[in-house]
Amino acid sequence: MYKVLKKIRVGVALFFLVSITAAFLYIVNSETSVFSTLLKLQFVPSLLGVFSGTAVVFILLLLLTLIFGRVYCSTICPLGVFQDVTTRVANLFKSKKQKRFTYDKPKKSRYIVLGIVALFLIIGITLPLAYLDPYSIWGRISSEIINNSEQLINNGISFLFPNSVYFRSFVHFAVGSFVFALFLLAAIVLFSAFRGRLYCNTICPVGSLLGLISRFAAFQPVINHEKCTRCHLCAIKCKSQCIDLKTQTVDTSRCVVCMNCVAACKNGSMTFSFTWRKSSKQNYNNPIEAQNKEINSPDRRRALIAMGLMGTALAVKAAKVGPLLSVKPKISGISPPGSISIVHLKQNCTACHACITACPNNIIKPATMEYGLDGVLLPVLNFDNHFCSYECNQCSIVCPSNAIMPITLEEKKLTQVGKVRFIPKRCIVFTDKTACGACEEHCPTKAITMVPYKNREGLYFPSVNRDYCIGCGGCEFICPAVPEKAMIVQGLDVHETAKKPLKEEQEELVIDSFGF
Amino acid sequence: MERRNFIKAALLGGIAGAVKLKGNDLFADDKMSVSASNDLVAVMGGEPAQMYQKAIEAMGGISKYIKKGDKVVIKPNIGWDKAPELAANTNPQLVSAIIKDCFAAGAKEVTVFDHTCDQWQACYKNSGIESAAKEAGAKVAFAHDQKYFKTVKLPKGVRLKEVMIHEAIVDCDAWINVPILKTHGGARMTISMKNFMGIVWDRRFFHANDLHQCIADCSTYEKMPVLNIVDAYRVMTQNGPKGKGIEDVQLAKALFISPDIVAVDTAAVKFFAQFKEMKLDEVTHIGLAEKLNIGTTDISKLKVERIRLG
Repeated sequence: MYKVLKKIRVGVALFFLVSITAAFLYIVNSETSVFSTLLKLQFVPSLLGVFSGTAVVFILLLLLTLIFGRVYCSTICPLGVFQDVTTRVANLFKSKKQKRFTYDKPKKSRYIVLGIVALFLIIGITLPLAYLDPYSIWGRISSEIINNSEQLINNGISFLFPNSVYFRSFVHFAVGSFVFALFLLAAIVLFSAFRGRLYCNTICPVGSLLGLISRFAAFQPVINHEKCTRCHLCAIKCKSQCIDLKTQTVDTSRCVVCMNCVAACKNGSMTFSFTWRKSSKQNYNNPIEAQNKEINSPDRRRALIAMGLMGTALAVKAAKVGPLLSVKPKISGISPPGSISIVHLKQNCTACHACITACPNNIIKPATMEYGLDGVLLPVLNFDNHFCSYECNQCSIVCPSNAIMPITLEEKKLTQVGKVRFIPKRCIVFTDKTACGACEEHCPTKAITMVPYKNREGLYFPSVNRDYCIGCGGCEFICPAVPEKAMIVQGLDVHETAKKPLKEEQEELVIDSFGF
Repeated sequence: MERRNFIKAALLGGIAGAVKLKGNDLFADDKMSVSASNDLVAVMGGEPAQMYQKAIEAMGGISKYIKKGDKVVIKPNIGWDKAPELAANTNPQLVSAIIKDCFAAGAKEVTVFDHTCDQWQACYKNSGIESAAKEAGAKVAFAHDQKYFKTVKLPKGVRLKEVMIHEAIVDCDAWINVPILKTHGGARMTISMKNFMGIVWDRRFFHANDLHQCIADCSTYEKMPVLNIVDAYRVMTQNGPKGKGIEDVQLAKALFISPDIVAVDTAAVKFFAQFKEMKLDEVTHIGLAEKLNIGTTDISKLKVERIRLG
């Protein structure tokens, strides 16, 4: 029976790993955004979106953990599953002895990391959580490494089949973001190749937080002390290294419920059983277990502190207190439509880069210093290679954490992410006294119109009404003025609503002549 | 007459090279049809495909322009992510009718493309042109990356001496220019000559180096379209070339066709001026092109046929 459970776990895990990775691939996103909906099941996005969006997923994930333990970590979490895959692959190159896992004591660091992450959350800085969130790490790896590799392969194929496969322009390459993703990938691969779920049980704030709950899970792996022969078949299979056969206990705060141990046990002494029926008395009847709890007491203290801090962070979020500390950006970046404000983005974005890969125009890039230090790697609009399509709200659809709130196309068309600043002295019409109008041509709301230029007959000059500007960057992108453009969109720290474009009704004319 | 001879020679030279026919046969053939047909045809009052049929008949039939085995390119305006009703892009029914006609004339392949302004896939899809073209059997080419463009020299250009043109045009035997008639903030009007900005890669250069002169210069390209077919079924009379909404569009139900790009644009501007004030002088690139001997604005000197349907 446990072998079947294990197979189900592997199946579900692979489904999530493949689907979530697919959500970061351009080739998939250009066809469907189905996979992006699965991102909404991720823990940290659901935690951050708990008050701005829906709490349903967050509560469901907590309930899931309370019933079955950390199954989230071995199925839904893409980074967790990826580590299992790496462990499996690494095993191909290992001797039988090297493959064996041994029990390891719980690491102090996990609750310290969780506590620090929570402390930062309380003062309004989400970045440490964003950088350590396993889903977002996998998002950045998928976006920077897998998606970029896929682009290279696609472009190779496009040379072989120029008529059916299109070349995907290399628009911008975020070196910093790529190197960071590569570093994380290397670290994770090394961790999991040699030590199984080491990341999950020493650093991962999600693992630590869910571990706090999984201690009390209804179903847990339980060792029958009478039947167990301490043969170690379970422990050598435990990639969380949490089965201690000296005391015949399983550290359920670290167990990711992979079912390897129960599937490996030959004499049925290891079971995945319902534990809530047992009275606590029974537990303490076992002297070894009682002793074990005492040994763990400093760990428990840290756990309680971390839990308290996380609770406070949630309370702060619930109270919608502004950030207590935020680095003021020197240059104001333009945040994607739907992100409400730079503060909202900073507080809710996990830098998973789902929006970056979903943007059909490739205009969202990982920020460097546009939002300040506490906004590095967050999505920022850049109009160097294209502009924000009037008929597109893709980023707001895919965002799993409501950092970019889901907005309708109608709302998006009035969302003012920035306002254009026109610098007439740089305009071609002014400098060269020749026609241009590229900005007006691209303006979807006609915030820019062309008006007769001074007394030069036949020459028209841009006129800007910023009330209608939504900051899409069409004008900035196309402006041919060099070295500096005459149209520059200035981001708004807090997005506003633009005036609805005027409907210029005209009389329907019936023409009966050719006119020549 | 010099102009017409030039066009004829260029055209026939290209065709002769492509189909490897003996020059004599072709010239003998062609003399008859040229003398019998019109320089410019204007049609009014029908549906896009129907007006095209009438127009091309009056021009002597598509076989005069497209030969058997030709690689043909049809270049509509697909610049914007807008539905056909909003008249920002060429009418897909018209594009479809021309493709089918080219195949009927024996074209080996027909390619449709535009270097769009809005996101290219959205433009191709929502203009209705991609599906119409594919349905009619044409290839829809990519034009969103510099990779698809080749540098060509424009020795007769005044400001624009060199330009990157889409490989489909550079490599084709004949191409047909199918713009839509619209207002334009910068160029005042966008018709046939302005539609060339969709065959080139770097449009910013045009804007930065005297837009009107560059548009005229671009029409000195040696491989000119064999026909320019102006779609004036729906006409955007304000807020062009992108437009804001359906209120920017007038249902004009007209079509203009000519191998002379200057003449056809002149005719289209005069037609447009009945909806909204527009002086030919204001669309400066038309006059500049005439100066470069690309064509004539003097329609009265041409053989023009005006057809009214319905």
